[in-house]
Amino acid sequence: MTIQQLIEQTGWKPVTKDADVTKEINGAYCSDLLSWVMGKGQPDQAWITVQSHINVIAVAVLREFSCVILAEGAHFPENVISRAEDEDLVLIESDLPVFETARKLIELGV
Amino acid sequence: MFYDLHMHSCLSPCAENEMTPNNICNMALIKGLDLIAVTDHNSTKQLPACAEAARNIGIGMLFGTELESSEEVHVLALYRRLEAALSLQPWIDAHMPGIPNDENYFGNQLIMNANDEIIGKEPQLLIVSLTATLDECVEEIHRTGGKAILAHVVDRKNSVTTQLGFIPPDLPYDGLEIKRPEQIKEVIARNPWIKENETEWLIDSDAHNLIDISEAVNEISEDTVARLWGDLQ
Repeated sequence: MTIQQLIEQTGWKPVTKDADVTKEINGAYCSDLLSWVMGKGQPDQAWITVQSHINVIAVAVLREFSCVILAEGAHFPENVISRAEDEDLVLIESDLPVFETARKLIELGV
Repeated sequence: MFYDLHMHSCLSPCAENEMTPNNICNMALIKGLDLIAVTDHNSTKQLPACAEAARNIGIGMLFGTELESSEEVHVLALYRRLEAALSLQPWIDAHMPGIPNDENYFGNQLIMNANDEIIGKEPQLLIVSLTATLDECVEEIHRTGGKAILAHVVDRKNSVTTQLGFIPPDLPYDGLEIKRPEQIKEVIARNPWIKENETEWLIDSDAHNLIDISEAVNEISEDTVARLWGDLQ
């Protein structure tokens, strides 16, 4: 599915403007330890995390993630959103806990 | 000057009860250290007793604490003056998650006087992450006149490397702490923008018991100390 379809079907909020929502999502990866994510993430995955530090953007770009989903109702700081927009990376905020966020993706066939 | 600027007193639940203010200072003196810092987790409450013990025993001391940011990164706050270090405490209190300590599981958190007598116990668990980001921790350390040293940067637990993947290039830290000199190469390999000669490297023990306090092997020049913290006298 595409990021656009995910947003439409979950109601989760994309916080980046003008970042490309037509990208495909193929699988997902859950972790908050960026050292692990750098080693294990795969291209086109949606990355579910509660980590909102600016290094998230560099790691997501490095691993060529489709998008980053911040779970638990947490929010990305402004400087992180603007860095993501520079990198054409979609950031999404989910009110659900990490497990429920992942379950939603599974239900939608990711 | 031989130094060790990262060790835990018996206020930290994970440290041994033998880590009293006087034991720490005496052991450091026996080992031949000139400058030490006691850096308990998220607390400055052992520092008044440590300051007095250091003065009585005659060993140099910086005053510190090891903060844990919301990203679970450990960062040392190190101050030249006791009062400045203590001025960080209200900010720490305001950012504690308020989890009570379970002594049986985590260990006790003893506050002592300069005679190594127990004068209190910290009821809130100290090994927690503050509700403040790493950026906010560094900013507050600087606002209160301290230096921010990223702790044990290549460790596999609570280091900037495990938590954030790499050292944030824009973070205005004052120094990087490692455990062994050869780790400098590892840090630079992972963070190629870091200049070895333009970085303050500290090699500390992170001791939780007396035996682990550094021997007199790591030296810091008085110039470096003065550059970071001003004249110690």
